[in-house]
Amino acid sequence: MDKIPADPAGQRHGIKYDPVTTCEVAALVRLNSDTSQLTLKAPRIAAAAEPGQFVNLEAGHFLRRPIGVMAVDRQQGLVQLGIRVQGRGTEWLSRLRPGTVLSVMGPLGKGFQLEGYRRVITVGGGTGVFPLYYVQQMCREQGIDGIAVCGYRSKADSVLTDHYRAAGCQVLFASDEGDLDVEGHAAAALEQLLQSLEMDRQEDTLIAACGPNIMMQAVAKIADVYQYDCQVSLEERMACGVGVCLVCVCKTKTKTGEANSRCCVDGPVFPAKEVVW
Amino acid sequence: MKIDLSVEAGGVRMASPLLMASGTFGFGREMDAFYDLSILGGICSKGLTVAPRLGNDPPRAAETASGMLNSVGLQNPGIDAFLEHELPFMRQTGCKTIVNIAGYSVEDYVAMAEKLTDEAIDAIELNLSCPNVRTGCMLIGSDPLQLTEVIQAVRAVTDKPIWAKLTPNVTSISQMAVAAADAGADAVVLINTLMGMAVDWKTRRPILKNNTGGLSGPAIKPVALRMVSEVYQQVDIPIIGVGGILCAEDVLDFMVAGASAVQIGTANLISPCAAVKITHDLRQLLGKENLTRISTLTGTLQLWS
Repeated sequence: MDKIPADPAGQRHGIKYDPVTTCEVAALVRLNSDTSQLTLKAPRIAAAAEPGQFVNLEAGHFLRRPIGVMAVDRQQGLVQLGIRVQGRGTEWLSRLRPGTVLSVMGPLGKGFQLEGYRRVITVGGGTGVFPLYYVQQMCREQGIDGIAVCGYRSKADSVLTDHYRAAGCQVLFASDEGDLDVEGHAAAALEQLLQSLEMDRQEDTLIAACGPNIMMQAVAKIADVYQYDCQVSLEERMACGVGVCLVCVCKTKTKTGEANSRCCVDGPVFPAKEVVW
Repeated sequence: MKIDLSVEAGGVRMASPLLMASGTFGFGREMDAFYDLSILGGICSKGLTVAPRLGNDPPRAAETASGMLNSVGLQNPGIDAFLEHELPFMRQTGCKTIVNIAGYSVEDYVAMAEKLTDEAIDAIELNLSCPNVRTGCMLIGSDPLQLTEVIQAVRAVTDKPIWAKLTPNVTSISQMAVAAADAGADAVVLINTLMGMAVDWKTRRPILKNNTGGLSGPAIKPVALRMVSEVYQQVDIPIIGVGGILCAEDVLDFMVAGASAVQIGTANLISPCAAVKITHDLRQLLGKENLTRISTLTGTLQLWS
């Protein structure tokens, strides 16, 4: 994490790095009936955020809400997030207006580890397509081959399809209702894709998944069968976001047995082989 | 004007009345990245047990009006791993080290106190109040006889200051505080979380996998203040006030009501640098009122007759 200079007025004596900043809402665009795209003026976060990392946002109630970073514009200092209404906090966030100032903590957590891979297949379901879009952008920046599999309930429910098409990656859109490229959920679409690929790039290919647990578990199993490395981004109810409260835990395998790892600092992205589903 | 924030509470002399509450600050490592921990009075470690504990299954938190419920369930590495890997770090933070221990039985508390008595720690905080485990802790702390037995047994094996952290989930907090003082505690810590529940009516399930959890945050501050004030009339040992403190005014409210020091808990989860701002604001507030020593405020509340 980068260091920020101490407050010249000396009012914040002792601060080394405050992960909390205040950010102005630049835009909020409705994408479909329950999903919006929020753009924040957050230069420090834009400069530092890596794919798979998240921010913990003030959300009109008591606790913050963790939301994965969807895209950054480092030049303009903008950060984009995808918000789907799931409860009172995300409902509040989805009603923000440009100019509102928010307290934002981040970037937080360990993101996807792309180093050493020459091809990345992202598999997203639900709001998982947002943080994975940032993965595909990063792949394009770094000259890594990208393939994006996105699963939706229906065409009407689909989001970011134009973004993905413009991101320079190969795309495969699946929907439960069969009104997109492939019928079925994202894991089934992944399996179809893998069957069509030459089996000669297991060494340099990563499968990166984000979405409902049941989808990620299926993706992890398929990755194992086809012998690809797989990383998954887990989600759990969270409080502090910095590793002190032990609220957002998930079961992981360790040398000595099982542990409750913290999604906020040990994750949210974990190697799929370490996760106890 | 020079403002003296130092206080003495329960056998510990501290540079500031701000202690970081157990379970909201880990062992200090994560927060050390954010600010210089030597500005604090002390850090109360995550609650420790004899053997390591995985804690409860998630979800472990739920939001409530002006607060939150948690049911972490004492996830911790165990007392031995703490002594080897975490205590050396806590010792070099420059603030006081308070070790919070949670037992299922009298023997557990004694075994941990024996291990701690020769270590360079400043006080032992007896967790007699965790609501998220099935045995020990709150069950012991809700019964004045068992509470007395634990404190006496720990007193017999250590000269370290003993702080008894009490549960508000009892009929009479004063009865428990009097029992703790009589048994030899050096201070009482008031209060741990209030037991509560959050429900999702659509799924017909509690939000917490543990069904119930402990309520914290500003929602409980009035309850905690009442208990501090009530106990202050009843016991002579110092009180450490805790419950929903978010700002400097909250700290002063607790001190006036009878607290010699306070603990910051849930505020750390919303703003990791909360204690830095509170410390700064305390100096400002006291300066404006021409008060030079914060310790002189303790117990100055004048109840209406």
